[in-house]
Amino acid sequence: MNDLSGAEFYSGKETAFGMIHVRDLTKAYADLERGAFVALAGVSFDALPGQIYGLLGPNGAGKTTLLRILSTVLQPTSGTATINGCNVLSQPALVRRQIGFVSTNTAVYDRMTAWEMVEYFGRLYGIGKDELYPRMERLFERLQMKEIRNVLGAKMSTGMKQKVSIARALVHDPPVLIFDEATVGLDVLVARALMNTVAELRDQGKCIVYSTHIMREVERLCDRIAIMHRGGIVSEGTLASLLEEHQENDFEELFFRLISQRDESLIATR
Amino acid sequence: MNWSNVKLIVQREVRDQLRDRRTMFTIVVLPLLLYPLLGTTFLQMAQFLQEHPTRVLVIGTAHLPQEPILVKEGGLAPHGDDPVPLLEVQTRAALSPGQTADDLALEAQNLIDSGEFDAVVYIPENFRQRIEAFRSQQTETNLPHDADVPRVDPSRVEPLGAESVNAVSADAEPPSPQIFFNAAKDKSRVAHDRVSAALRQWRDAIVERNLERHRVPAAATRPFEVREQDIAPEAGRRAMVWSKILPFVVLIWALTGAFYPAVDLCAGEKERGTLETLLCSPARRSEIVWGKLLTVMIFSMATSLLNLASMGVTGALILRHVEALGRGGFSLGSPPLSAVFWLVIALAPIAALFSALALAIAAFARSTKEGQYYLLPLLMISVPLMMLPLFPAAELDLGTSLIPVTGVMLLLKALIEGEYAQALVYAPPVIGVTALCCLLAIRWAVDQFNNESVLFRESERFGLGLWLRHLVRDREDTPTFGQAILCGVLLLTIRFFAMFLAPAPESWADFARSTLVLQIALIATPALLMAIILTRSPRKTLLLTVPRPMTLSAAVLLAVALHPLVVVLAKVIQMLYPLGDETKAQLEGLGSILASAPLPFLLLVLALTPAICEELAFRGFILSGLRHMGHRRAAIVISSIFFGVTHGMLQQSLSACAVGMVLGYLAIQTGSLLPCVLFHLTHNSLTVLSSLVTPERLAERPWASWVFQSVGENEYIYTWPTVALGGGVSLLVLMWLRGLPHQDSPEERRQHVLDQPAPMGVGAR
Repeated sequence: MNDLSGAEFYSGKETAFGMIHVRDLTKAYADLERGAFVALAGVSFDALPGQIYGLLGPNGAGKTTLLRILSTVLQPTSGTATINGCNVLSQPALVRRQIGFVSTNTAVYDRMTAWEMVEYFGRLYGIGKDELYPRMERLFERLQMKEIRNVLGAKMSTGMKQKVSIARALVHDPPVLIFDEATVGLDVLVARALMNTVAELRDQGKCIVYSTHIMREVERLCDRIAIMHRGGIVSEGTLASLLEEHQENDFEELFFRLISQRDESLIATR
Repeated sequence: MNWSNVKLIVQREVRDQLRDRRTMFTIVVLPLLLYPLLGTTFLQMAQFLQEHPTRVLVIGTAHLPQEPILVKEGGLAPHGDDPVPLLEVQTRAALSPGQTADDLALEAQNLIDSGEFDAVVYIPENFRQRIEAFRSQQTETNLPHDADVPRVDPSRVEPLGAESVNAVSADAEPPSPQIFFNAAKDKSRVAHDRVSAALRQWRDAIVERNLERHRVPAAATRPFEVREQDIAPEAGRRAMVWSKILPFVVLIWALTGAFYPAVDLCAGEKERGTLETLLCSPARRSEIVWGKLLTVMIFSMATSLLNLASMGVTGALILRHVEALGRGGFSLGSPPLSAVFWLVIALAPIAALFSALALAIAAFARSTKEGQYYLLPLLMISVPLMMLPLFPAAELDLGTSLIPVTGVMLLLKALIEGEYAQALVYAPPVIGVTALCCLLAIRWAVDQFNNESVLFRESERFGLGLWLRHLVRDREDTPTFGQAILCGVLLLTIRFFAMFLAPAPESWADFARSTLVLQIALIATPALLMAIILTRSPRKTLLLTVPRPMTLSAAVLLAVALHPLVVVLAKVIQMLYPLGDETKAQLEGLGSILASAPLPFLLLVLALTPAICEELAFRGFILSGLRHMGHRRAAIVISSIFFGVTHGMLQQSLSACAVGMVLGYLAIQTGSLLPCVLFHLTHNSLTVLSSLVTPERLAERPWASWVFQSVGENEYIYTWPTVALGGGVSLLVLMWLRGLPHQDSPEERRQHVLDQPAPMGVGAR
């Protein structure tokens, strides 16, 4: 692992390209079973406003680790990442104002109602009540959450909880939205509604990172796709450019080919 | 820090806890119901606590004198002012035909074992005749005498085996009645006490009759009575009792009340997955910690106060009830109002301390279940500190006021007893120590929230083989934090057992041998072995690098310059925590052993060996590992605490701890162990040499009077100008060391970035 040291690592001298700018990001964990385990091995990409950037990869590819670093919940071992020009390491509080993060790991509070939960996060973002309440009304209307307004988290279905999470992530109107496996556990209807919402948000000019292991979601939704496996991006581009570059007609076939190539090259380097 | 965020978090957490049935049950319902329930149970049980009569068989009533009577209407007759003990007496006129005294012991054992009787009393044959003969004999000689009448003497108890019946007997004339009882049975022991008391009263009655016959006034046996008078006012006595009970109740509930919400707010949130939601909100980690801390504090205080109130009301009602029944020896009354006032005032800092500790511990836990396991270690540390003030010898002074928790309890005790002048003097140190502990605990809690390996600890499969493989496979250049702590604890444990196994030295050779074994085998070797087995680079771990030459001279200079200050510090510590007589005697014994040793050997054993061995362990292995914490200062302090505690005696430990901090700083700034070894060697050599100062030697060297001054017989300390000069030079050397380029650990660099204030404005660079 490449453990950079000294002030230059943290000073964030890099310049911003896209809304999200990631360069050579690595993350290593210590693990009793696997020892020093590299979850991310030098990931770089840029995502632009009005774009859905898809991260596609099997379980354990490093998607969640990457997105946790972007949301400043984890710190990278080396490399840089900026969101709207703010460095995730040196300006974590500013980064968190720029993003809305929805993940299978970001649960809702059992003992709070949908309204209280969204209000709580809105207030944490420093939005005054005068501005917050009308905004919340619109948000609840748009996400069809009016009937669960006073329902406690513990009493909600998975779909309801996911709606509350999205409302929480949108309440401060951030330029960047991160969805990590957001459709896991949702029925087809709710999943489709969620994808429609994501597409709408893109149309409003948001920069969206959408991570999933379901290929059809990526094909339907994403403007650019990065295929991740074993901590690295195997290939990256639009759906058409990926198929063309690798001379493949079927995306699923391409995915399996790239993944097995990565496995083979890793075994060879060992 | 954005306090409006903190306020928001507090509001949310409090609301959340108020909606949690378990927390509400523990904090509100339990105290409100617990004490009335306990009270009811107490009153219900009180009937069982009433005294029950014990059954006694008196054998040989035919041998009793006619006057004064002993057995009367199935009980023992009252003599004197004391009430008759509760006894149900059955009698047998004499031994059964053919029964001997030995048979009697066997029969008594059977009777008591079967539960038919609790004690058996035997009045020997000829008892009446002998008593009367004794009386008339005394009349004939008409001598004043010591009333040596039949006596039941518990000191003559001759046990016939653990479960056997004991016989109390005396072979003096006249023959003594015997009580058979079984000391292993509570009921039988009570029966013995009651019968002895009754027999003593009866004996006194016999004495009185004898005296009457001789026309000696009864008062002759008691020339005077001792009269006792308690001058404590009623309120003072009440305050004394309450000052012991209330602080303990308040503190123990403050701790319990802090723990459960803390576990729910940290481990519970981790478990439910909401912690990550909060972590990606704009609230900073410190704001989250403060929000949670204040919430835990609110619940800690509420639990404590509710318990106090509920206990107070129930207790007062029960006491009134008991007093109305006319039972109970003294009236406790309600606590003075000032006590309640001081308790509420003291509750805030103590709740803050417990809350911060509980929060940091709870943040470490993966789940609520795991969190609850950590309550026991927390209680094991806190409860002894709370129990300490309950000892009669514990008094509020500067020494005790510096002990966390204990100081607060003693201060509270003084305040409740109305000792305001004393409390005022010691309030600043108590408040200072408590505030410092609070800050450290809060800092620890914030660190836990910044530590992703703590926040995202996932359940791992644990196996010994897996762990051993991990130890070897995942070795780093320097030891981990855990390994450093393990080494420290291991050294302390070894030292603890060595202390008991090694005999007290009787000669210089003994002393030198045991010291060398302790240093080389029990301090240096474990550290060296751990460095070789557990790290990739023992050289880096033990700081075996060549330092800049200047640092060596600086280390020696610093040791010389600091020595006077360390001596002063040691004196101050001895004033705060005076040595016990036993320790003084031990030290004097050691001093005379050392006086017989040749100087070069003294320096080898007491200066050079510890300088090498202790530095390898404490500044080498332990400090290197502790630096993975990311806090240099904390690493220095913790390694110094281990270093101090290995010195055994509290007074020595405290000053060693202070020296250890300088050594730790030296190690980090120079990046090498050699300056530390030189400092340690110089320091210990100076200590050995200064113990050799005598009036004669001083007289030979006139300049020495500038350096040393006498403070008692054969006791010298440095003169104040020397101390001041030493302080000044030390400061200069430390400043020079501060300017040296030194290497931070990766964790320290990371922490440095975290500690920097965040730049304002989006995109600002």
